[in-house]
Amino acid sequence: MSRTAVTVREALLEPGARDLRRARTDWVMRRVVEFAAFLAVLPLFALVLFVTLRALPWLSPEFFFNNPLDTQPGIFNAIIGSLQMSALALLITGPIGIAGGVYLSEFASPRVSSIGEMVIDILLGIPSIVAGLFAFLLLVPILGFSGWAGSLALSVLTLPIVMRTTQEVMRLVPPSIREASLALGIPVWRTTLLVTLRTALPGVLTGLVLAASRALGETAPLIMTAKGTNASNFLDFGTTMNAMPLVIFRYAEAADDRTIGQAWATALVLMAIALALNVIVRWRTIDSRVA
Amino acid sequence: MTTLDLHQARANQADPFFRRAFGAAAALGGLLLLVITGYLITNTLPLWAIQSPFSFISTTAWITGIEQADGSTLEVYGAASALFGTAASSMIAVLFAAPIGILGAIYLVEFAPKRLAIPLTFLVELIAAIPSVVFGLWALGDLSIRLRDSIEWWIASTLGQVIPWLSEDPGSPAADSVFRAGFLLAIMILPMIVAVSREFLRSVPISLREGYIGMGATKWEAIRNVVVPTARVGLIGAVLLALGRAIGETIAVTMVIGNAEGIPTSLFLPGNSVAAKIASNLGEAGTEIQLSALVALGLALFLLSFVISLVVRISLRRFSAIKAVS
Amino acid sequence: MLSVSSKKANRKGAASESAGEVQPHTQEAEVAVSGAVSLTNVEAFYGAFRAVNNVSLQVQPRAVTALIGPSGCGKSTLLRTINRMHETLPGARVQGSITLDGIDLYDREVDAVRVRRVIGMVFQKPNPFPTMSIYENVAAGLRLLGRTPKSELDGVVEASLRRAALWDEVKEKLKQPGTSLSGGQQQRLCIARAVAVQPRVLLMDEPCSALDPVATLKIEDLIRELAAEYTIVIVTHNMQQASRVSDSTAFFSMDENRAGYLVETGPTTTIFTAPKESLTESYVAGRFG
Repeated sequence: MSRTAVTVREALLEPGARDLRRARTDWVMRRVVEFAAFLAVLPLFALVLFVTLRALPWLSPEFFFNNPLDTQPGIFNAIIGSLQMSALALLITGPIGIAGGVYLSEFASPRVSSIGEMVIDILLGIPSIVAGLFAFLLLVPILGFSGWAGSLALSVLTLPIVMRTTQEVMRLVPPSIREASLALGIPVWRTTLLVTLRTALPGVLTGLVLAASRALGETAPLIMTAKGTNASNFLDFGTTMNAMPLVIFRYAEAADDRTIGQAWATALVLMAIALALNVIVRWRTIDSRVA
Repeated sequence: MTTLDLHQARANQADPFFRRAFGAAAALGGLLLLVITGYLITNTLPLWAIQSPFSFISTTAWITGIEQADGSTLEVYGAASALFGTAASSMIAVLFAAPIGILGAIYLVEFAPKRLAIPLTFLVELIAAIPSVVFGLWALGDLSIRLRDSIEWWIASTLGQVIPWLSEDPGSPAADSVFRAGFLLAIMILPMIVAVSREFLRSVPISLREGYIGMGATKWEAIRNVVVPTARVGLIGAVLLALGRAIGETIAVTMVIGNAEGIPTSLFLPGNSVAAKIASNLGEAGTEIQLSALVALGLALFLLSFVISLVVRISLRRFSAIKAVS
Repeated sequence: MLSVSSKKANRKGAASESAGEVQPHTQEAEVAVSGAVSLTNVEAFYGAFRAVNNVSLQVQPRAVTALIGPSGCGKSTLLRTINRMHETLPGARVQGSITLDGIDLYDREVDAVRVRRVIGMVFQKPNPFPTMSIYENVAAGLRLLGRTPKSELDGVVEASLRRAALWDEVKEKLKQPGTSLSGGQQQRLCIARAVAVQPRVLLMDEPCSALDPVATLKIEDLIRELAAEYTIVIVTHNMQQASRVSDSTAFFSMDENRAGYLVETGPTTTIFTAPKESLTESYVAGRFG
């Protein structure tokens, strides 16, 4: 018999050196992957903790409600500016993105749908500075350095997000739902909008929230479009507009403590918003991932 | 009737106005892409009048116009140093993030108890939600990055003694450097690698694991010899996806890489990146040629991310669990 | 049609041994007579749910024992306790005693990994490793055990494939991926790789249920051949298969708490022609399940 034949007693009760080594390797690798997972989570805690600690001394009502040129400077115009430009970007890309996503999921032939997915993939991968550069080249000559240009620059980044999310969640709706509706004689367009889309609505809203989170956090598209300003402009898209990411970027390497401190405080606000939006949106998935 | 036929039939039955309206919306995406590509390309043309694309890619100097003694103006635009910085920082990022990300994903899929795996996965992916400018600011404040500094010190004092481009002057370590940018990028792309790897590892059927363990293999052996090889294409795709993201990352890198000219002699010295260069110089671009040089940089970046998207898409085509996360 | 007579001839020597440890004279002799599995008061749980209730069973070496009964009676669960696969599921546990040649498989000193070396398993759906060639699939278990010189590896691979009645069909294409074979061939490949590490016992969990009738018959023939060397325990839904292939049969049913329990066990001919329990009689007559 070859050397692999051993008695049962030997095999079970008398492990060889190799067996012990294998067991030890297994143990070591288990610890290694545990450590890797720990490292993967660590930055989140480090970041949140550190930003919070650095930002806390600078949080005050003046910080939130004053403008940069006031005697007690604040970032009010940045907060408003961010919200306005992101809202406008969503207003534009929301309907278009949803409509496009619906089309790709429901009506496009496999070839068109495949091309469409590739296009969206490429758009998703566009570096944010390129989106800003494009907006600078095309829109700023027409619209000037303005909130309009900033919003449209953000739109370049939010459109593919909304389209992709919508397409994916529409695809997940079981065919039986559409067929049941059609079998009742409901026309296709009503079925798609009032039945299929409605079923997919939570996912679509998730896409919008994720796009909003992205729009609020982007800096590069705004550097050469909205540019940032110290003036207050509520609903005045025609001129330069401030935004929270711009504040952070500009104040980050300032000389005086107060300006740097305000950068940290702004970072805390921005981070809190981004995390809150993402947590709300993914909250349900914590349970449904059990599968 | 197959699902395909049903799909087509439904499409044909749809009210044509409705279908065309929604189709137009979808087409807008394609139109946008075309317009962007077109605009980028056409705006680089002024540069090609005075310099060849090859020279653009290979020259390290970036001179926007110096009066020469004979009255002519010296203008040379070289993307090489920026390209180096982008490539080097992205490689460093992948070097750190790929092993940790894949190993972490293995933990989440194979070993973590369910009650731990779900919140942990959630937390890892949450990092991706944080705006990059916040990352940049965090990296500038150096208290919580002791880890990075000790890694830096360790590499410089061991490998750095032998390999010049890993060396560092211990007396005055640079505050901004290619390495620091790479390290920060690693943290930023880690969630993506974990998330995508996790999906592909999960897609390996349980029966394969059982078959191997049933022969008397340890769990790690099953992972190493069966699960990972089966998921290998997807894992590579995950890393490529993350590489693409690292290449395109603008703001965090700009804040940390140092905005220096030329190719640094050590990774621990300040460098530059394509995205950072565009961001810093765009405000001062006065002439048409200066602007088109920056657009050329942008085009290079765009093409890089375009190619990576395509490569990932083609190589992952057979896996249905594609998640194109940005 | 039962090939029980030839089985009985083989078992004459085995019948004289008890279920406990045997004291043979040579190592080869010891290897030759081993493979007796003994289950005593075995219970299997998924968390708080008891799936198998108090099963005691002696499995004769070098014979085929079939576990039959309607679905959900814990037959597969019980099977998986024998090679300690049940415990790989989170929250799963086993109570009671399971021994192989008298050695407690659940003893703290015994590593589950080593149990699975001497007790192999073939699963319901053929699961060849997709990234490995046919050769590599068969060699997979051996590679885990150490660096074997290629010539020896070649020999074992060929012997295992022959034993699985697959050698002639694949000898020209050993380098092709394991998944390139038909369903029945893949299952025989899985059998080959299971026997390559020379286990004493082979557990088979409905090995033919995913296969067509022609492939099924081939595997049934194979099982009868394999019983000359291995102890085989097979779970099957197919009563006719059980009567064709096995020497002993154990019939399971479900109690009111949805736990599986052993109704009756005995030689296959007896179970099918003159069972003691009326429940058994109803099942084999096809009146339920």
